[in-house]
Amino acid sequence: MLSFLTILFALTLIYLSITERFRSFSKLIAIQGFLLFGIAFLELTEVNTANLIFIVTETVVFKAIVVPMILYRIINRIRIYKVHSKALPGFYSLLFTIMGLFLSIILANTLMDKFIDTVYLTIALFTLFTGLLIIVTHKLLFSHMIGFLVIENAVFMFSLAAGKEMPMLINIGILLDIFASVLILGIFINKIGSQHRDLMADTLTSLKH
Amino acid sequence: MVLYYYIAALILSMAALFIKKQSVTKIIMTVFLLVQLLFTLHIMQNSGKTELTYFTFDALGTIFLIVLTMISIAVVYHGFRYFSDRSPERFFYYHSALIGLIASITGAYFANDVTAVWVLVEATTLTGSVLIYHKKTTTALEAAWKYIFLCSTGIAIAYLGILFLSMTMTGLGIQDLSFESISKVAAHANPLYLKIAFLFVLVGYSTKMELFPMHTVGIDANTEAPSPIGGLISTGLVNLGFISIFRVYISLSGTTIFDWMNHIFIIVGVFSLVVAAGYELKVRYSARMLAYSSLENTGLVAIAIGVGGIGYYAAILLLVLHTLVKSSLFFQTGQMYRILNTHMVDESGNYMKIYPAGGLVFLIGLICIAAIPPSGLFVAEFLIFKSLVSSGHWFVLILSLFLLAFIIFAMSTRILKMVFSRPQRFGDEDFIKLHPVETLSQFIFLSIVIFICFYQPQFLVDLINQSIAGLPK
Repeated sequence: MLSFLTILFALTLIYLSITERFRSFSKLIAIQGFLLFGIAFLELTEVNTANLIFIVTETVVFKAIVVPMILYRIINRIRIYKVHSKALPGFYSLLFTIMGLFLSIILANTLMDKFIDTVYLTIALFTLFTGLLIIVTHKLLFSHMIGFLVIENAVFMFSLAAGKEMPMLINIGILLDIFASVLILGIFINKIGSQHRDLMADTLTSLKH
Repeated sequence: MVLYYYIAALILSMAALFIKKQSVTKIIMTVFLLVQLLFTLHIMQNSGKTELTYFTFDALGTIFLIVLTMISIAVVYHGFRYFSDRSPERFFYYHSALIGLIASITGAYFANDVTAVWVLVEATTLTGSVLIYHKKTTTALEAAWKYIFLCSTGIAIAYLGILFLSMTMTGLGIQDLSFESISKVAAHANPLYLKIAFLFVLVGYSTKMELFPMHTVGIDANTEAPSPIGGLISTGLVNLGFISIFRVYISLSGTTIFDWMNHIFIIVGVFSLVVAAGYELKVRYSARMLAYSSLENTGLVAIAIGVGGIGYYAAILLLVLHTLVKSSLFFQTGQMYRILNTHMVDESGNYMKIYPAGGLVFLIGLICIAAIPPSGLFVAEFLIFKSLVSSGHWFVLILSLFLLAFIIFAMSTRILKMVFSRPQRFGDEDFIKLHPVETLSQFIFLSIVIFICFYQPQFLVDLINQSIAGLPK
């Protein structure tokens, strides 16, 4: 079951890197939230109840429900539904993503250690790579935000790889997630959405003087 | 005492936010400065003591806390002046966030655990972004967005570094991530994991230290934030970034990756100088010019750490003096804006005639920041170059001197233009008259910097030597 959820999570990453619709982005982020919940629930059998409740709240309530709802709200507000300016066509994105997957497998095997779960490390590295790829290859700020949320999921995955012995680290990682996401989504929905209607990263260049 | 400090800071910050009366806020800020001062004295008298498990009052933190407290007094004063001819609408948010920022930096200076440092660094992002967006303009929004986005990404990367550290530490039976525990067992850890952890921590916290490769965050923030805040971000927060990286460096200095870390520091330092020199030559905005100068100085600090030996001493001395000079220059650009209503170098001029005290600050500040005698920075940079020579890093030395020549040229031409040249935009209008007393803090700070060129007080020397005592000679 655990392997199935992990593979499913990797598949959502591949889909994320090639999709061009904002609503699909939001749905995939929600699915990732549920998958992370499943993985954490099955993996962290030794953590105490309070920690488990904290993790469930973060993955299901925050990652799978609240964040996607905010994303939908942003989409409806800015009325941009599709990636219309992308540095890379979908085919090349897919190619890079597959390369990233292989790179992550090689790197995780190089870093193999008896205290670390190699599968989680592979997926965490792949998630990090995908997040960075989305930020680099897209021009819309909305896509950058999605890239950041994916990086946050990578951090969560890393916490699972490392945090069985130090549950405090998972909790702090979760706090980072909530803190940064709320801050970024908050400023996006309240400020940038109303001032930069086109939401292109290219337009944010007035500071280069 | 740490607990009482934070309770006081929280109450005062909330009071500044909710009691919306300017006179009351001024009293609140004065009380906060008193609390800050008392806390600094308490730490100086309780050296080596640990409080609330996560805070240890060591020499490294104490040095930077003393300079932070000094500049905080000036930051608060210049903040009041900044609002004297502006709408008071944002006055309360500004001061509430300012208390939060100073308190977060203060705590992070003494945090003895990797995760505690990380949490407090994160708190500086939250409070700092409120202050950067303070003007509510489109450019302020852009700077705030970039600051939050890049800092959050940087902090996430630093967290990955911490996770890598934890991965290797749990294997060695360590259940906490205090710097002391890490340094005890790091020599037995997997070097590859340590390298990854260090690299992630360096890249992540370079957002705060304004060091290559994540330097852009600080540059934009310094440009857009109100000048007193620019003075705080480019000094107190830069020092925080340095401490966060330096503590990890000290903890890992007993391992086989020590030489590798030094090489990384030198590479990062040289790249910082290259970027600073390139951009300094084309910059047209006074605050941005000062921000790139911070990049230059942090680049020199990184080189000094990488070289080691006397370089460690020089690095800390450079940061202490840079704090005093750079904050003075930021405060001065703020005053210049109040008088000339512009930050653009091309549009400003004749400042020496319009406001002689301010013009003098710019001139002395230029001499100090360019490390020309009698600036104390001359001593620090001389020691860095000496360590480069004694360690045989001739190429780094020549390249650094070459790049510094460009930076000094660029800064000199711009500051001299602002101080003496005929302004392009305005004629003989009646400018706002500022009393020279408003520039007193800058003169005090610059005097200290000059004084240190001739005499370094024993307590400063002792504190710096204690800070680097754990490093290989």
